[in-house]
Amino acid sequence: MKIIHKIPFQQIALLDETFSINFMPDLQSLRSSIKAVGLIQPVLLRKKGDQYQIVCGFRRISVLKELEIREVESRVLGESERNELELFSISLHENLTSRGFNSVEKAITLYKLVHHFQIEPSAVIQRYLPLFSLEPNEKILGTYLSLAEMEDEAKRYVLKEEVSRSNIRRLATLSSDDRRSLLSLIVPLKLGENRLREMLTLLDEIKRREQVIIKEVIDRPEIQAILAQKEFTPIQRTERVKRVLMDLRYPKMRHMEEEFEKKRKELNLPSGVSLHHPPYFEGNGLRIEFQFESVDEYRAILSSLSLLADKEEFREMIKV
Amino acid sequence: MQHTRKSGDQDEIKMFPVQIEKIYLDEKAEKDWGTQHLLKSLPDVPVERVEDKKNLIKQFLSITDPIGMGKRNLLITHFYGRRLKPCPGTSRHICCGYYVINAISNCPMDCSYCVLQGYLNNPFLTLYTNWDELLLEIEGFLSLVRTPLSRLGTGELSDSLAMEPLFPVSGFLASYFAERENGILELKTKSANVDPLLPLNHRGRTVVSWSLTPESLIGEEESGTASLNERIDAAKKCQEAGYPLGIHFDPMIDYVAWEKGYEELVDFLFSRIDPKRIIWISMGGFRYPAKLKGIAEKRFPKTRMFLGESFPGRDGKIRYLKAIRVEMYRKMVKWLREASPDLFIYLCMESREVWKEVFGWSPENSQHLNQLFEERVKKFIGR
Ligand code: SF4
Repeated sequence: MKIIHKIPFQQIALLDETFSINFMPDLQSLRSSIKAVGLIQPVLLRKKGDQYQIVCGFRRISVLKELEIREVESRVLGESERNELELFSISLHENLTSRGFNSVEKAITLYKLVHHFQIEPSAVIQRYLPLFSLEPNEKILGTYLSLAEMEDEAKRYVLKEEVSRSNIRRLATLSSDDRRSLLSLIVPLKLGENRLREMLTLLDEIKRREQVIIKEVIDRPEIQAILAQKEFTPIQRTERVKRVLMDLRYPKMRHMEEEFEKKRKELNLPSGVSLHHPPYFEGNGLRIEFQFESVDEYRAILSSLSLLADKEEFREMIKV
Repeated sequence: MQHTRKSGDQDEIKMFPVQIEKIYLDEKAEKDWGTQHLLKSLPDVPVERVEDKKNLIKQFLSITDPIGMGKRNLLITHFYGRRLKPCPGTSRHICCGYYVINAISNCPMDCSYCVLQGYLNNPFLTLYTNWDELLLEIEGFLSLVRTPLSRLGTGELSDSLAMEPLFPVSGFLASYFAERENGILELKTKSANVDPLLPLNHRGRTVVSWSLTPESLIGEEESGTASLNERIDAAKKCQEAGYPLGIHFDPMIDYVAWEKGYEELVDFLFSRIDPKRIIWISMGGFRYPAKLKGIAEKRFPKTRMFLGESFPGRDGKIRYLKAIRVEMYRKMVKWLREASPDLFIYLCMESREVWKEVFGWSPENSQHLNQLFEERVKKFIGR
């Protein structure tokens, strides 16, 4: 059993994050607990030169500091008592048993194992992915490593919106600049998983079709105008942005829709009558739908429809 | 039937698009001529005998890129069941009444848009060596079929000639069809592996066909295939050896420079090939089942195949907008007819509306198109 020491904060290397696996920790309950009963479990430090490195207890130390407590009850390991990987492993297991990890924390852990502690990816897959209840395969490791490399802003979005692994992979294909621009677009929208996938796919395809960067697409006036409209709800904004992206992705289709709409308007159809082209303009033939509530109304619609055949616009529409 | 070909020509094998890593040999296929020929052609490739094919396939399907891996690993086995089937075609579209022969499944080449990626549940490049049973099936079919001239081809589940240097089943079939009166074989390829066919006495009963794409797209989207130049050289050799030629502009790909690309392609084709030796030309805009996109983009992250304006059609396949297809077909027809007005040009898996918009007329139905083919073949081979 290690002796418990009271270590003043000045002696702790607070910026040394070698063993930290925290990202956006939720400190609320910990804060209440410390306020109510003080620190229950001492932190674990390692002596390093004339300072102490934090091994376990980053969150506790952060709350204590916030509460302006000057020293922390600690168990202390000697400088060469354990190697760094063993200490990281202690930190990992301590956190696993005490609180569990969010997806960014999993990503940070795996990234440190591969890049800082130089563990072979195959060994990380076999030994560490199951600890996080993840399937042990290359693709999953790749997904988390790519998340670890993203900017904090993107990581925060992933956590807040609980972005799926397939969408994380999509985000990872973007350059850092493109991802930043993307966030400026998607943070104010209301996107579920499917909508986010749709947006990412549309943006990626527009970018590749037009050989531009995503920022150029997002900076387009029609998109910026939607984002600037304060009175839109997030859902309305999402629908409008999606419409613009669809038009950019499918310009010929948009043109055909516009032409059809123009001609349809020129027909001056009576109210209650709608005219439709075949889905995606595949096949020929138009579909007319109408609704009526009385025999007179029915007669009026039929007589106005019978006049359509003489209209040039109508004939042209049939040819589409 | 005698299998008298010599073992594989080493130069041809060097041109093979992938390095074969391993041969999995089903014991039942061990003694077959095709197997022996292949093993002699690949003396340095390790061979593993397989008792449980299903289990082997299951294991392979769980690896990261079973499709890519399958192209580098051969499975030699027998095929059980029907290997000759009507071309699946597509509902509510006009089809040409073709029959497909399953002699090989999967392909050593690796086109980004290949539908086999989402279609095969056995990822191995699989060679079926029970050729004699295959011939019996074809024989049975030809003796029963009512149409005076059936068209059969092997290019549905593989490229017809990609494996020819190692596994000369197409040459074997060409020799067989040379003796048939009511059947014609089509070999469709993106390779240039025609040398084994040249000395055969084919009697004009085998059409050798190339799928052609503008050169820049070959480099980007058709990995491991022969260059345009090589394909046309090979077609020229077949023309000189008296084979009827087929040309398939399929898939036709909508990309920024498509007009220039396809016009130059047509010019290049007719600068080397005599249009009178071309029995048919097909055109088909790129179309695909919905699930292909995800699979292909994962394997080919740079592919541009799925950037066109495509939408689901009435048969569930995704196609370019009709207006785009019609424009592409019309221009192609114009360039082709300028080169030679008598070419027999047809559309693959298109509706009557599209036929009418492109040609001003349409076959009544699939049967009618089939009749037109029969007339064309009779005229062409002088029957
Ligand atoms: S040549 Fe044909 S079968 Fe082979 S990969 Fe390309 S499309 Fe698929």
